[in-house]
Amino acid sequence: MDTPQTLKLNMWKIGSRRAPWVVLALLSSIALADDPQSPPAGQSNPTALKQLSLEELSQIEVTTPSKEPTKVSQTPAAIYVLTGEDIRRSGATSIPEALRLVPGVEVARIDGSTWSIGIRGFGSDLTRSVLVLIDGRTVYTPLFAGTNWDVQNTNMDDIDRIEVIRGPGGTIWGPNAVNGVINIITKDAKDTRGMQVSAGGGNAEQGFLNFRYGGGNGNDFNYRVYGAGFTRSPEYHQDGRNFDDWREGQVGFRMDWNENRDAFTLQGDAYDEIAGKSVSATSYTPPYSQIIDGNALLSGENILGRWKRTFNEGNDIQLQVYYDRTDRRTPNYIEIRNTFDVDFLQRLRLPAREEVTWGLGARIDPVDDPVVVSGLQFDPHKRTDYLGTAFVQDQIGLVEQRLSLILGTKMLKTDFTSDVDFEPSARLLWTPNENQTIWAAFTHAIRTPSDSEENFYLLGYIGTTPNGTPYFARFNPNRSFAPEELNGYELGYRQVIGRKLYVDLTGFFNHYHDLFSEDIIGSTFLEASPEPVHFLLPADFGNGLLGYTKGVEVAPEYRPANFWRLRGSYSFLHMNIGRSPHSQDIGTAPSIVGSSPQHQATVQSAFDLTKRLQLDLTYRYVSALPAQKVPGYSTGDARFGWRLKRQVDLSFIGENLFQPWHVEYGGDPGPLVGIKRSVYAKLTWSR
Amino acid sequence: MEQVAHQGRLQSSLERATAIVLLWAWIFLAISCPARADDQPLEYQVKAAFLLNFTKFVQWPPSVFANEHAPLTICILGEDPFGNTLNEMVKGEAVNGHELVIEKIAREPAPKSCEVLFVARTDKEVRRILGEAGPGVLTVGEGEKFLQDGGIIAFVIEDRRVRFDIAQSAAARAMLTISSRLMSVARSVQK
Repeated sequence: MDTPQTLKLNMWKIGSRRAPWVVLALLSSIALADDPQSPPAGQSNPTALKQLSLEELSQIEVTTPSKEPTKVSQTPAAIYVLTGEDIRRSGATSIPEALRLVPGVEVARIDGSTWSIGIRGFGSDLTRSVLVLIDGRTVYTPLFAGTNWDVQNTNMDDIDRIEVIRGPGGTIWGPNAVNGVINIITKDAKDTRGMQVSAGGGNAEQGFLNFRYGGGNGNDFNYRVYGAGFTRSPEYHQDGRNFDDWREGQVGFRMDWNENRDAFTLQGDAYDEIAGKSVSATSYTPPYSQIIDGNALLSGENILGRWKRTFNEGNDIQLQVYYDRTDRRTPNYIEIRNTFDVDFLQRLRLPAREEVTWGLGARIDPVDDPVVVSGLQFDPHKRTDYLGTAFVQDQIGLVEQRLSLILGTKMLKTDFTSDVDFEPSARLLWTPNENQTIWAAFTHAIRTPSDSEENFYLLGYIGTTPNGTPYFARFNPNRSFAPEELNGYELGYRQVIGRKLYVDLTGFFNHYHDLFSEDIIGSTFLEASPEPVHFLLPADFGNGLLGYTKGVEVAPEYRPANFWRLRGSYSFLHMNIGRSPHSQDIGTAPSIVGSSPQHQATVQSAFDLTKRLQLDLTYRYVSALPAQKVPGYSTGDARFGWRLKRQVDLSFIGENLFQPWHVEYGGDPGPLVGIKRSVYAKLTWSR
Repeated sequence: MEQVAHQGRLQSSLERATAIVLLWAWIFLAISCPARADDQPLEYQVKAAFLLNFTKFVQWPPSVFANEHAPLTICILGEDPFGNTLNEMVKGEAVNGHELVIEKIAREPAPKSCEVLFVARTDKEVRRILGEAGPGVLTVGEGEKFLQDGGIIAFVIEDRRVRFDIAQSAAARAMLTISSRLMSVARSVQK
């Protein structure tokens, strides 16, 4: 059993390169771990437990947040769960920043309010092919089949957990879950009783205030209300165009009733924000192309109701309904969308170790996208998008508690597709004993077309000929854009070694075809209308790319003692995406391949110095993104938490500490935006 | 040149093969190792430790003990969620000269037979049993409702941790004195 030792040495190697404090922390804690006075290592040793004081006993976490600890380790998919405590101890002030802690997820901050988030490649500011849900509500816009991260804010203290599934999750989840699913789950109202106020500020996080009050009848009905607001400074701009300042205010509530067999949830949120953005606009008249810096006015509301009736273990039904309004007014486009969604799900336990899950879903969302700047137009600008889904999944226990097979398929139909599409999957789960899981999966997943392929005109300025005639490329909508398709093959292995080490290993091979391309569809010609006379290169959004990605993700977790937790991750990704023989793509493929890091590594240490003092350190390395002109970088975060009294917590957080600023991704017109070193203090009072 | 490249390729494929063999060897070794026996859930280990602690911070009227050396009995009514944990913990433990003893009982205790009565969550007749527990019995149960039913200390899970509430009036009725230290750690104390 020398694996923990090896692990320690590897982390040492990573840590010593740039982060002397990681080494220091390792050294000091190794010394502490040998100290007989320190709390016993195996916290679940009964004789050790009885040595603890009453206060220490009150601090032991006895359930995992998912309430079913075996569930995660025995899921036949590459799942990772980030707990509310992990998020609190990371000091992350937004969901994208918290996702940096998840292995295999590529998070790159483009500017103050914009991120590129990808899973297993395909990272872009549009975050295509990743399905994001908050408490069962899909926060995905069919405008470009992606997620607007700048409006997915919440009181971070209310998040119970974030479950991330890398790889295709198409069968149960949704049409967009090609490369992964990010499932954000907030706390049940019974877990947020009492009052909590937190406030703080620093150089980048200039100021924030969160408020929450929770109450109930002390039994089966609980509620909470919350309010949150922040103001952020622009990031670092070499050219001084500090456009990306950001202010937001949000309020919301959640109510949970639990009767005997029935559970009801009603929740809602409303937000209003101003986020500085920079966009480029193209016109047929001079100056042809210009950069516009301006404020985006973003607001929205949502309300969701869920009813679950449990008949007995393994038999239940669930009905969920929500309404979501998005009002997005950016400097170059407007999107006003009203989404109505209803989902039904039933789980049935059959004899002979069989469990069937099936469901139906429907979504309808009328949208209006009026023209704001020239060179970018949705036609028709008033449309109604819809989505209908049905799925069935059968889990068959082949050998009791040891081997099971999960077969399923999803059927879906949208206004963008002419046929019903199928997303079948097969998963095999083998648990040779309680400490180990081996799984394999085959999945077929699709990314459905979106407004930005089927209803979208885009004009691009190429240059001016010597005689002064401007030269443009124009992409016309492709009303027959086909779904992007994936066949994914995965193999995973997990093992708990002793009580202190947990290893999670996944390998994948994804084969893609009909990926989005920007195709030239003819030769350049002189166009007289619209005026003035200009050269035009006709182009089309096509399905011209294909290829494969492969990679490995390793995520060990090591608990040398009950006051110290170490986690690491390493992800390797190789992408090979190119044009199909009949495609005239003008550069999408190299841009996709060069916008995701080949290597990513993180090391996190969560250390309880005393009962009142916590020290958290994070190191991360991301390799270069050639297509974004971003060099590889290493940086680190640190948090020092101090429990002043039972009700008062003070913490100091430093993020991106290794350098004054560093770049993570392109995406905005003009020079790359530098992400600043950020330092802030936070005071939390709870009662 | 080509030969060098070929050799390099050969070497890297050899290395890869070795790595794969090692990986499989490790997996199979790990599979053949027997799994560790399933332990009691941590939640009940922590609750057991609390239960043991309660005996040190509660004062019983001397009359409940037959003599100075009579044991202090912790009774578990109904389903026993502790497994062997509690037995292991109290082994060799004594409070003020009273040796700690665990007893599992199926119905309400006989008078003066239990100093601590733990009622598992699954028991339905909680209210009646608590009513008949009589003085000198520290009743411990689970969930906030336990105090409404007349219990003295109730375990609750808050923020994934085991906490407890105390009903001081019920303790007074049972002629028990709860130390201020225990009350300061409690999540709430009902007067």
